[in-house]
Amino acid sequence: MDAPYRIDAQLEQTLEQVFSTAAGLQPGSTDLHFDRKLWATLADLGFTRLTSQATGATWIEAAGLLRAAARHAAAVPVAENDLLAGWLVERAGLPDEPALIRTACIADASGSATGVPWATEVDRIVVLWEAPDGWRVADVPRDDATISPGRDLAGRPTDDVRVDLARAASAAIPAACVREYDLRGALARAVQSTGAMDRMLALSSQYATERVQFGRALAKFQAIQHLVADIACETALATAAVDAAVFQMASGHGDLDWLELAVAIARSVVGHAASVTVRNAHQVHGAIGTTLEHRLHELTKPVLAWRTEFGSLREWDARLTDRIARAGSDPWSFGVRATRA
Amino acid sequence: MSFAPAAHHVHESAELCALRVDVRAFIRDEIASGGFVPAVDCWLNSWDAAFSRRLAARGWLGMTIPVEYGGHGRTFLERFVVTEELLAAGAPLAAHWISDRQIGPSLMKFGSEEQRRKLLPGIAAGEVFFAIGMSEPDSGSDLASVRTKAVKVDGGWQLTGSKIWTSGAHLSHYFIVLARSAPLDPEHRHAGLSQYIVALDAPGIEIRPIVSMNGHHHFNQVFFDGVFVPDAMLFGREGDGWKQVTSELSYERSGPERFLSTWPVLAEMAAATARGDLAPDPELGRMFARLMALHQMSLSVADALTNGRATDQEAAIVKVLGTATEGDIAELAGSTIGGGDASDGLARLRAMTATALLSRPGFTLRGGTNEILRGVIARGLGLR
Repeated sequence: MDAPYRIDAQLEQTLEQVFSTAAGLQPGSTDLHFDRKLWATLADLGFTRLTSQATGATWIEAAGLLRAAARHAAAVPVAENDLLAGWLVERAGLPDEPALIRTACIADASGSATGVPWATEVDRIVVLWEAPDGWRVADVPRDDATISPGRDLAGRPTDDVRVDLARAASAAIPAACVREYDLRGALARAVQSTGAMDRMLALSSQYATERVQFGRALAKFQAIQHLVADIACETALATAAVDAAVFQMASGHGDLDWLELAVAIARSVVGHAASVTVRNAHQVHGAIGTTLEHRLHELTKPVLAWRTEFGSLREWDARLTDRIARAGSDPWSFGVRATRA
Repeated sequence: MSFAPAAHHVHESAELCALRVDVRAFIRDEIASGGFVPAVDCWLNSWDAAFSRRLAARGWLGMTIPVEYGGHGRTFLERFVVTEELLAAGAPLAAHWISDRQIGPSLMKFGSEEQRRKLLPGIAAGEVFFAIGMSEPDSGSDLASVRTKAVKVDGGWQLTGSKIWTSGAHLSHYFIVLARSAPLDPEHRHAGLSQYIVALDAPGIEIRPIVSMNGHHHFNQVFFDGVFVPDAMLFGREGDGWKQVTSELSYERSGPERFLSTWPVLAEMAAATARGDLAPDPELGRMFARLMALHQMSLSVADALTNGRATDQEAAIVKVLGTATEGDIAELAGSTIGGGDASDGLARLRAMTATALLSRPGFTLRGGTNEILRGVIARGLGLR
């Protein structure tokens, strides 16, 4: 039996410590602002380019990092900078300056991309687009792009970006990389969501234990116990599905069909888990949990926002239906492989 | 907060993968030769002693029982892989289910040498089948309140009372009975209970069928009228009954039978979608995803159990989610298919769905109701 994977306990502890210094939202504001102080600490520790700089770290460690960041609602573009933009720069062999902060997006033929995370806050935007002779990638300075600022429902910058593709110094990139880019983005969001859910569970348990009503802690009411238990159940299932996909990603065997299946399963399970965990966490917290002054929304809002990126929940469910119907044979042997990739 | 998230991802070794390939080949041959027809809820409803013996001939019963007792000395994970494949295929597993899942491991843990020698070889050969006698008419989820009485007599014990919901008792050779061997102490409700191995053809036993609402008969009520059980058939230690029945709950709660009972329905829906008899429905993909994630969780619990780690919380989570999903699949099929007729290619799905819908209420009741299990999870979270 292979050892079940786990991230190094010491690394996990370090991550937890570092991210516990995350600033969170400015009081009274729904807007998330890039936590540059935290970013500087992360950069010093080599955590801003964990996987895309020959550190030997894999998606398994990256997942630990993303979860810790999400658990503390840290406003830092670690997923975008390392797992998406950094990876593209490395794959395309573009000149790299690791200290630069990057995001990434897919643009249409006119050079436009919508909802690009953190575009207003980064140094560079790595842009993918399909040219007549195949896919291309360019590492565009932010000031060379036209940016219309926007925000997602979690208050995170998600901006519309326009790039002059003709002027950008670009390199060719295989279509398979573009497909993998999408899967990486989809999985990163799923990983982040499980981190946030984990914290929602902790906050809900804590609140239920501390808050007293009718002369008893909320936790003594069976109805409340069951709400929290269901958060635990859905979070555990989502984490199991995500871990399986992270394992596939980390194994790096390049079978994109198999990777897509694992990511689709993770996105489906996480997306439906979001419904239960967000609803129940708010239900347990009562009215205070719906306010700007309480932390809960810093965890529940990102989960809802991430669910809409790199494919909607319904699209992932539909993709799975399509895959198992096309597989023809029994979906069991399709889903549970008896050969090692 | 003392809750540790369940998941640690387990990647199957090449040996386990090879075992899956072997079982799949066996299943293909069996289905092709008419050895069995895939069925819903096969581990409870499909009793086929001959099939159990064919599995035994392959070495796939009593897998974890040591070789010296007639077993195969294999790991719990190897057993997991074999049972998972058989459940997904809807194979008839009911005859040996309890003896293979529960009694074999329990005998290894609590049984006397004499009991092991007498029973384990037959269990591994598919010749000895067991039922379980725990619940009583007035003791459902609250097991500590059982009233079946064991009174010490010369050379053994005399049992009086009745057990209910004993699946397969009318076809099994033995059952294992939880009885009160000392008067109830209200301060220590779990004390004074003992377990006994009772031959189901013993004088004084009467087995009455309880027919389920789908017309199947697997449940029974078993009555004891002063049934004599020799000392040698006291199971484990006198007074340790509660500890014994609760110590193995993780095995019972986290296994693949807690999420695969309606897999044949999902497989049939996928096939019907592929044929164009059903329109593609994202809900099908959703159910598939949940079951794949449950497979991962269940596998990780099996791995933890193999390595001797406690997993009560994780096992409860698998059962809560798995049994609900089994029911949701029945619902999905039931809300998708119409009355139709034989020409729409859905006759097989229609028959399976009817069975699944009528079996569904039992999924979230048997082996600890989901309400009890949510309480277990809440306790793990420090809420109670």
